[in-house]
Amino acid sequence: MNASSALGAVAPSPLARRNPTVKLAILFIVSLVLLVVFDPVTPALLYLLGLAAVLGFARLPMRTIVLAHLPFVGFALGILVVNALSRPGEVLVDLPPIRVTVEGLLVGSALALRTMAIGILSIGFIGTTDPVALMTSLHQHARLSARVTFAVLAGYRMLQQLPREWQVIRQAQSVRTPFRENGATRFGISEFGRAAFTLLVVSLRRGERMSQSLESRGLGLGARTVWRPVPLGPADWLLLAGTLGLLALVIAGVGTLGLGLGPGILF
Amino acid sequence: MSAAPSTTTPAAASARPIHRFTLKDLVLIVVLGVVFGFLYWALVQAWTGLSILLGPAGDLAQHVLLGGWLLVAPIAVAIVRTRFAGVIAEILASVIEVVFLGSAVGPMLFVAAAIQGAGSELPFALRRYSSFGWGSYALSGLLGSGFVFIFSAFRSGWFGQDLFFLRLGIQLASGVILGGLLAKVIVEALAKTGVVDNYAIGRALNA
Amino acid sequence: MPRRGVSDTEMPTAAAPAVAFRDVTVTFPRQDRAVLRGASFSIAAGERVVLFGPSGAGKSTLLATITGVVPHSVIARVTGSVTVAGRDTLATEVVDLSRHLGVLPQDPDSAVCLPGVEQELAFVLENRAVSPADISDRIDAALAVVGAGGLRKRQTGSLSGGESQRVALAAALIGGPDILVLDEPTSMLDADGLRQVRDAVDAATRHGTVAVLLVEHRLDEYAGSRGVAGLPERCIVLGADGAITHDGPTASVLPTAAVDLHWAGCWLPGDIELQAALGLAAGLAAPEVQRALLALAGEGCGAPEVFGPVVLAGHDLTVSQDAAPRAVRRRPWPFRRAARTSSDGQMTRDGQSTRGGPTGNGGHLARDGRAEKRRVLLSGVNLELRAGEIVAVLGRNGAGKSSLLLTLAGLLAPAGGTVTGARPGLVFQNPEHQFLGNTVREEINVGLPAGSERVDRVLTEHGLGPLADRNPYRLSGGQKRKVSLAAMLVHERPSLLADEPTLGLDRWATIATIAAFRRAARAGRGILLCSHDLRTVATLADRVLVVADGRIVADGSVVEVLRQGDLLARAGITVPPLLRWLIARLDSVAQVRRVLDALDATVDAGATVPTVEAP
Repeated sequence: MNASSALGAVAPSPLARRNPTVKLAILFIVSLVLLVVFDPVTPALLYLLGLAAVLGFARLPMRTIVLAHLPFVGFALGILVVNALSRPGEVLVDLPPIRVTVEGLLVGSALALRTMAIGILSIGFIGTTDPVALMTSLHQHARLSARVTFAVLAGYRMLQQLPREWQVIRQAQSVRTPFRENGATRFGISEFGRAAFTLLVVSLRRGERMSQSLESRGLGLGARTVWRPVPLGPADWLLLAGTLGLLALVIAGVGTLGLGLGPGILF
Repeated sequence: MSAAPSTTTPAAASARPIHRFTLKDLVLIVVLGVVFGFLYWALVQAWTGLSILLGPAGDLAQHVLLGGWLLVAPIAVAIVRTRFAGVIAEILASVIEVVFLGSAVGPMLFVAAAIQGAGSELPFALRRYSSFGWGSYALSGLLGSGFVFIFSAFRSGWFGQDLFFLRLGIQLASGVILGGLLAKVIVEALAKTGVVDNYAIGRALNA
Repeated sequence: MPRRGVSDTEMPTAAAPAVAFRDVTVTFPRQDRAVLRGASFSIAAGERVVLFGPSGAGKSTLLATITGVVPHSVIARVTGSVTVAGRDTLATEVVDLSRHLGVLPQDPDSAVCLPGVEQELAFVLENRAVSPADISDRIDAALAVVGAGGLRKRQTGSLSGGESQRVALAAALIGGPDILVLDEPTSMLDADGLRQVRDAVDAATRHGTVAVLLVEHRLDEYAGSRGVAGLPERCIVLGADGAITHDGPTASVLPTAAVDLHWAGCWLPGDIELQAALGLAAGLAAPEVQRALLALAGEGCGAPEVFGPVVLAGHDLTVSQDAAPRAVRRRPWPFRRAARTSSDGQMTRDGQSTRGGPTGNGGHLARDGRAEKRRVLLSGVNLELRAGEIVAVLGRNGAGKSSLLLTLAGLLAPAGGTVTGARPGLVFQNPEHQFLGNTVREEINVGLPAGSERVDRVLTEHGLGPLADRNPYRLSGGQKRKVSLAAMLVHERPSLLADEPTLGLDRWATIATIAAFRRAARAGRGILLCSHDLRTVATLADRVLVVADGRIVADGSVVEVLRQGDLLARAGITVPPLLRWLIARLDSVAQVRRVLDALDATVDAGATVPTVEAP
């Protein structure tokens, strides 16, 4: 059972029950490995596997999954197009000013699919992980110090209040700025900057008071207990081993078929 | 008012080692990460749509604002003046973006953050956290953007592209202006408001 | 009381006083004079003390010296010796002192730091290495003491101010401290919240197992109808120069110090204030005091006030809070959609035509992707504000008063109905939210041509001349409010809206604010303000609106409205004793106002604060 399930932020699912630190480690390892993979096949396979895992074990609403895809699909398309158009090599299409090269398409699609693969795993991670449980687990299982853990959690609480604070600041400042022709108030770079500065000042003030509160509650007294520990069990180790095994299998398989490419292709 | 240490002032306040964070420093660093994370997030919301519209040009246009992502490190270093403040500030900011704001870039942001934080902090560290002139800030922005450029270029396959040097130029310029000089403007404005009086920067001003 | 756990029993000398100060002087950098000067006192185990004094007398500094925040975290020079439970605070880290201290700060937002209530309370025990098996029971016990058992499963972000403060109080008590330090714990709350927190403090400290040091600047409100009996038994008074002037039983110190404190601008419990102002010690119940008050009231209701044309009106308004607490929308901001100028220069806002559907899309903040409805706070609101008129809106926190102001100001699109009138000014509750300049002069100058002569006039009028070149963020709370009010009034918009304009102010600053509002009204502005400060409302307002249950439930003169007991109960309004008596005995608003003005006039207003003109 998830330590912070009482907070209700995450729906129960097989993935939600797994240890957050383990999930973060998997995400991190897969991302690092993908960093040196420059063929399109490996990330494509990993994306499909990740998608299957998210659909099967994360129990996220379809709408959330689709919406969460939007930012990195856009990003991936950008990478694909830029690489296809701006990389020297064997010309595939030549319609000046547009010139698409084979190398460009290859590298571009590899990088775009890498973005997609990391993206789907991130969705699976973020969608099934309660941030508070993650911090608690990092404290327990990754030796993150108590002071950092609870400073971040206090920051999380502040973050929850920021949208409201931001809105109030925008309102409070816009009432002072003159109307333009169309009756609206201007909100350009300097107004954004001013509001951002106010948000910073107000938040730093609150942060100083929060640190006093945390200290007055005894944060940093020394050895501490953990009331409701986040569990770390055999199933979590199995998840870790299974995922890494699968990753190795994919890479080995693609390599055996002669489709694998390393960073050398860039140069 | 001279701040000559009186016998009753705790030694910790007057001669604090530059490698020890107080809880207050940590919370300040987190707050910087939270506020900038939130502001970036608000900007990115507006930005993503635009960059999809602009297509390849959007990819380049993003570089112009890159320096903005470096701000947290020099600000944290200038206020807290403690070793690794910049690196930790960047990493915490990226944790907040990924874990709490759900950034799509994923955990690669942690790595990028650590690299650019190290770059941003280096010029201050070399001067033992005692020099905060325009030059230090400009260098901070330059190194921060330069370090992270190498990583990004590898990650996004910019090496070997026709646009390589254009990208490098835009990012370095943005780093110096938005990630370096702007940080100094913000730090000084903050110091004038008094909210950072009780941090290392305030002790330095009172000395 | 929650019991001390097995693992945190390592306390030194059990017989030591909870707090002892010996000749303590505190000086901050950049200030020539000491904030706290030669303070000596001690608080015995289980003793209850109220610390009192004018603004800037060093009350907060004294508390911060006890908690060790001064000088460990806030830079200051401290001489003398301070001990807490026998430990020298100057030589002990703040966190080590936390074993002996429970602290309840002023601002509910920073009093609770973690996302969940349970977590917040468990945090204290975890830090003290209490065995996990005992924690749950102790959480229950601590919450029960403050009457907040029902809050255990809540997220802290969803708590009201009063609930937040009770949770913070439980967190302060759960470790079994030797002394509980309360720093103006109710000053940000409405009447209900104040009562809840005060009762919780009483319940938690009744048994004398924990010493209490309470700082409170609105003693009139905190003491409530119980007067001096509602305060801790012992009272320490700080003078304006930061030295302790009185120390003894509250019941005898307050009458002795009454005149000085009154002149220094302190808010005193009702009977004490009357003693200072009238020179009669017998309290409101005594016939001679009543006669003196009636004499101040005079005869007749004065000439009927004549107001100008309507400057701002709402027609069948539906007020709704647009922003869901967690999600930031990608849609254009409300005020950009809402404010449109029609051809005649008048602003017209039409809720129905400009508002899109309520969408809760996008962003991982609203990760469930659920669409939230716009929560309607008030509906069917019809109101008119005339030139020269001052109208007050009363009601609970969260009843929609602030949102009503935002809607009238064009910052929040109405969910229905229309607003007509020229663009109003709006003074927000937190003045820092509105600052745009780097100096007070720049602040006033925003939106005016550089070097406008109006700026100097307004600076002088509001007594801000000496502060003109200061950074607005560095001013005291009262000065900040003065700046934000002046910066709004300099624009001479026909109507002015103000959200809690006297919150946190001492009596001088309150009187100055009243004078500023009256000047603006005489100059022909229409003024609409939200306030929990009923005394200020009675002094100022020509008309009072009460919001409750999503509607405006009353609209009339102060006397008419405040006489309706059942209505006030519904709206969560508590009328202070003096005002209650005046409302009951006097027939006209003018008479009530004459009494309140006469009492205000007895406060030595000093050279820089404008004295109150007769109405």
